[in-house]
Amino acid sequence: MTTAADARILVVDDNRVNRNLLLALLERGGFHHVEQAEDGNDGLARLELFQPDLILLDLMMPRMDGFEMCRHLRADPRWKSLPVLIQSSLNRPEDRARAFSVGATDYVAKPINGGELLARVRIHLTKRALLHDLQRYHRRAQSELALARSMQERLLPSAARLTSTQEALGIAIDAHFAPSSELGGDFWGERRLPDGRLAVYLVDFSGHGVGAALNTFRLHAICQQLAAISGEPARFLATLNKRLCGLLPFGQFATMLAGVIDPMEGVFHYASAAATAPMVWAPGDDAPQLGDGSGLPLGLLSSAQYDNRSLPLPPGGRLFLYSDAAIEIPVGGDVLDETGLAALVARHRDREGDAFLAALLADLRATGPIDDDLTALLLTRKT
Amino acid sequence: MDYGIEQRDRDDTIRLRGRLTFNDHAKLRALIGEMKQAKGQRQTLDLSSLEFVDSAGIGMLLIAREEMTAVNKTLVLRGAVGQVKRVLTVAQIGKLIPIED
Repeated sequence: MTTAADARILVVDDNRVNRNLLLALLERGGFHHVEQAEDGNDGLARLELFQPDLILLDLMMPRMDGFEMCRHLRADPRWKSLPVLIQSSLNRPEDRARAFSVGATDYVAKPINGGELLARVRIHLTKRALLHDLQRYHRRAQSELALARSMQERLLPSAARLTSTQEALGIAIDAHFAPSSELGGDFWGERRLPDGRLAVYLVDFSGHGVGAALNTFRLHAICQQLAAISGEPARFLATLNKRLCGLLPFGQFATMLAGVIDPMEGVFHYASAAATAPMVWAPGDDAPQLGDGSGLPLGLLSSAQYDNRSLPLPPGGRLFLYSDAAIEIPVGGDVLDETGLAALVARHRDREGDAFLAALLADLRATGPIDDDLTALLLTRKT
Repeated sequence: MDYGIEQRDRDDTIRLRGRLTFNDHAKLRALIGEMKQAKGQRQTLDLSSLEFVDSAGIGMLLIAREEMTAVNKTLVLRGAVGQVKRVLTVAQIGKLIPIED
């Protein structure tokens, strides 16, 4: 379509002599796919079938004039970016202004200067071809990102999986997952251990967008290969860290919290690689108790060691995990921080899982803009 | 984020101001380039006027350390306060880059 030989041009003019003049001129310029129409109605009728790449349009015509035809075709989304080059003997500034106001692309005055007209036709065809390329590229990027996003969502446990976990272990999991762009650097997972315990982890890669998302696939694959977290979350993180150190370019890293809920013991055992502080509370508590998230991020230092820590989680107890987007919301000159988030959590601490997340998210959005991937997980011991 | 540089024979201090985030990648790259060219053997990032750092910002500080090590310079972080101090503490960055109060 970029070459003159392929370009399709529609000439709309009521004067047959003018049309033949333009046809001859275009022919000399190397344009062979040219169609003629004798007024606006005829022009509109031929658009569908001929699918032009450019229109040469006269203004003063019987039945439907050029202004009207231009207005009509611009109202149709298919012709919004079609170049319309006006060629007219109307030459007052107000005529030109009116033509542009109804959507004309360019304007040449009659009598036609052949060289100038051909030059303008070529310029507009080139622009159209570039625009098409850009649109095609944009559409492809969009559809690939949408596909990648659905693949990333499939890394997360399905609703059916969460239901069966609740039936098997009496632990309900409610989750919110919202990447800040099409793709995100967060993900989370759960695994049922044979003795009624539940392993859970939450990962947040540095940065966001495509690069961070690719890293989530990497880490997910490694997590699947490794034996379950079992009773040693610290060793699990140290092993993951070693694997990631060889893979990630310097300056990229992940924060991660990995832990095991032990219902028999009534404890959440966990280890943290610079994750946010986990929060737990039991029925009757006024406010959540904060754990300790400190630890070297994954992927920076292969010899890094992690600490095993624990929090009480009796029957009815709840565990709340979240990515740092939730505490990095700006508040005045500072950020919300863990204490600010804990205060919001306390407000909604007794609500049902989905209502808890909805109310908390509404509070967070009301606090300030959230400009990173946000994941929030609430685990509730039903028994 | 913006910054100012103060040079003193073998010791350069760069004061970072504002927020250090994902969006400052190009700027920090340029700064690291300047630090590599600088005369001082010891390059100190003064963080006392830095209000906020996100994970990408931490990543860039780690890249700065790596680049300084490659040209036999020492990187030191100084004076972090508020959220910046909390993030450096939680991520135990002191194990990788010397941190001064």
